[in-house]
Amino acid sequence: MSLQKDPDRNEIRHLRKFVDLDDKRVLEIGCGEGRLTWQYAKDARSVVAVDLDHDSLRVAKVDQPSGLENQVGLACSDSEHLPFSKEKFDIAILAWSL
Amino acid sequence: MVHALEEIQRVLVPDGILIDLRPLADNWRVEVVSLREVKRTGRVEDLPVQTDGDLAANEAMQVVEKRSWFKREQDELFPFFYSWDTPSEMEEFVDDDWSDFVGMEEDTRRATRSAWAVADGDSRVRVRVEIWIARWKKNTINLEP
Repeated sequence: MSLQKDPDRNEIRHLRKFVDLDDKRVLEIGCGEGRLTWQYAKDARSVVAVDLDHDSLRVAKVDQPSGLENQVGLACSDSEHLPFSKEKFDIAILAWSL
Repeated sequence: MVHALEEIQRVLVPDGILIDLRPLADNWRVEVVSLREVKRTGRVEDLPVQTDGDLAANEAMQVVEKRSWFKREQDELFPFFYSWDTPSEMEEFVDDDWSDFVGMEEDTRRATRSAWAVADGDSRVRVRVEIWIARWKKNTINLEP
């Protein structure tokens, strides 16, 4: 199938316009298959990307660009019970998940 | 939703930033597009469940603002396109992947096929979704409701 999602890259352009990700600790909620995650992850100091869907997380793992293994963590987690201590992240991104 | 936002507020540092990115459910336009022109051929029919989702999300953010957990600093709409080479590929995707929450009327399918058939050779078919992005700053002083 010839599907292209966001061929003009409007989403990542707007994300970068709205927030400076450089050297930040980022939590992404609802990362899905990592479509957005893999576009900005290299900018951040660290990324934890969570989703409830195991299958989507598997795809995200497969699509993970090389060199980001130590920088990005993928986890299956419910946004209402985030398994992190307080004040751990500089930026949170609700990616199509509210 | 409000509980999730409370959790996010907890794990963010003081003055941390929350970015809310989400598609708005209404008026997903179907277009045939080439370098020379954009021709609108109809719209995807959204179902009430999606619109209700938008309302619930907005209400949750209003609660959060009222409780002074976050302050909205900036927001904007921008287009996000799903794009295919042909109308039949678009229809297959809509029927297979979006059937839980949207549909496409026969008139729109027919108009899209017709417009694509007579369009320039570089034409593609796309659905335009409006995305809302908002930047919220965590308040350093948390006032309980």
